[in-house]
Amino acid sequence: MGTRIEIHAFGAADDDALFAARRAIEAVDDALTIHRPSPTTALNAGLMAGEIAVVTDRVLLDALVEIETAYALTHGLFDPAADASKRSAGWDAISFDPATARVSASRPVALDFGGFGKGFALDRAGAVLREAGIVSALLSAGESSIAVIGEHPLGGAWPITVPHPTKPGDMLVELELTNEALSISSTIGAGVAAPERAAMIRPIDGAIITNDRTTVAIEPTGARAEMMSTALLVADGDHATRLLTDPFARRFLFDFAHEAAMPAYPARMPFDERL
Amino acid sequence: MNDYDFDQTRRSFIDRVLKATAFAGVASAAPWAAAAAGTEQVAVGDRVRLGVIGTGDRGRALIQNIAKTRNCTVAAICDNYAPNLAKGRALVGSGVRAFSDYRAMLDARGLDALVIATPLHLHARPAADGFAAGLHVWCEKAMARTIEDCGAMVKQAQGSGKILQIGHQRMFHPTYLNALKRVKAGEIGTVTQIRASWHRNNSWRRAVPAGASDRQINWRLYRDSSAGLMTELATHQIQVGNWFLDGVPTRVIGSGSICFWKDGREVYDHVALIYEYAGGRKLIYTSLLNNARYGCEEQIQGSTGTIEPELGRIFREVPPKTLALQRMQADVKRGQKRAIPIGGATWFPELPVTTPGESLGWGEYSETMLQFEGFGEAVRSGKPLPGLLSQAYHASVASLIGEQAMDSGEAVKWPTSLVAV
Repeated sequence: MGTRIEIHAFGAADDDALFAARRAIEAVDDALTIHRPSPTTALNAGLMAGEIAVVTDRVLLDALVEIETAYALTHGLFDPAADASKRSAGWDAISFDPATARVSASRPVALDFGGFGKGFALDRAGAVLREAGIVSALLSAGESSIAVIGEHPLGGAWPITVPHPTKPGDMLVELELTNEALSISSTIGAGVAAPERAAMIRPIDGAIITNDRTTVAIEPTGARAEMMSTALLVADGDHATRLLTDPFARRFLFDFAHEAAMPAYPARMPFDERL
Repeated sequence: MNDYDFDQTRRSFIDRVLKATAFAGVASAAPWAAAAAGTEQVAVGDRVRLGVIGTGDRGRALIQNIAKTRNCTVAAICDNYAPNLAKGRALVGSGVRAFSDYRAMLDARGLDALVIATPLHLHARPAADGFAAGLHVWCEKAMARTIEDCGAMVKQAQGSGKILQIGHQRMFHPTYLNALKRVKAGEIGTVTQIRASWHRNNSWRRAVPAGASDRQINWRLYRDSSAGLMTELATHQIQVGNWFLDGVPTRVIGSGSICFWKDGREVYDHVALIYEYAGGRKLIYTSLLNNARYGCEEQIQGSTGTIEPELGRIFREVPPKTLALQRMQADVKRGQKRAIPIGGATWFPELPVTTPGESLGWGEYSETMLQFEGFGEAVRSGKPLPGLLSQAYHASVASLIGEQAMDSGEAVKWPTSLVAV
């Protein structure tokens, strides 16, 4: 995943649980990476060859289920099969049967899970920790994806602030989380010019996103938060409005080209606002 | 640059040198610099009279620098290769005597000192003859082709009571002196490593004119006349390594190869060495002739910063960021709950720091000219600039044991039988 993963568990947390959580994260990396041979690269080879593939790796299968379930929620704006060099590539070319684990594609496509893997890994590690009885923890993938278990160790929600990407000391929004995940995506700020960082593209029309934007999505799972923050980053016009006005979601889009007109979010967005 | 401008920049240089060497650590590490900077204008007739042996490219560059000094003048030139002697004549004018045999130049008298800019294996003999003739000697680096000859040159200078100065001009370079001052002041913390390199992308081979031999023109490519990259380039940077690490190596390991220019040359075109110093410190050196991307540079690496004198820059170590989640952990331990800032610390591989650093200072001057002014000062006073010969001798020895290490494939210890200097 090319990022730093941190697990901060509070209260009784034995080493075995933390080790198991670490293994869960490594298992996601092993399954979803395209930078070395993996179940995903094997699947991609089959899809590019026009074959019907049967996914035997449980982690990859669960990831495909997660994407299949949530793809529509992003209006197709999160698409692991999108390819900037091939306008026709996309998830809609894929037929996936979770029951039989069979995957095929009507056109040659290859999957690149990108940031989805970070959120997905946090979810699986979080599940391991919950199963081990841990009731308070914060998991981070590069500090751009976080998931919290339970409440803050000192009680109440976890207070999180999202700094302004270019103005040190300024905050974009302050939030509270409990048993939730948060993902930040940005085309501006630290790390976006790093080597191997691909340009953000809008899957539905192949447009390269050049606007200076930061998005924040809070969702029940890390995987979904990743998908949604990515979708928001590339969304335009109606799509963005529809994603932002979902009454059951806390999602934010900061467009720095129109910074003066950006909404001033409340200093603190309570975790139960959507209830 | 006109004379007035040059005078101003020279004054600026002297000011910088004096400021740099006023610092206690630098005064002990570069005691020659302040002495050299004291040079005053002297009447033409009182200038130190130099006889230049070797008027090839380097010799002519030296003649041009000598002409800019306040206290030296070229009184004679010599080269046994007629085309080079003719080019030398064109520089110095008809009033300066020209010889094809340096012994004839010595016999003709009228000199205070020799300047030797011949191929490496021809340094030791004219130096010895010069001392025997009662002359001081300035000799291009490296000192000589063998450690024994280097030691003999030192002994002859000591025995004759004459000055022997070797051409390591970086020791007169204000930027280097400023770098040394800042290292001595602890600005980059504890220095444990120097990475130095001299990378070029050319064959080093010169066209051989009619009437000349390949070994005469391309003497740098043959073992009997040169140690190749080690003596022609590395000596400069090994001297810098010794200087900044304030010592000499304890041993060296290395690998050399004729890796790219397989044209009949005998010396390596690709060298990689590690010089070990007391306390586990290291000078890591590479030089090659088929890639110039990283050019010539030295990186003085300390625990709180890096100085690159060739580039004239000082870089601060970027302090590790206190990650938000580490702060959160500390807060919880203190019983304090406060907002956790996230979203800025996505981790990427530890890539080089690309901050521009700060300038070490630069100026319009020629350190090659300045080292001759220093030499002139030493000759006129009869006292060698302190510490200078020691630096040069040890740099030459280090370059030659580097060659031994590469040839043998084994670690070579610092020799125990060197001449005290």
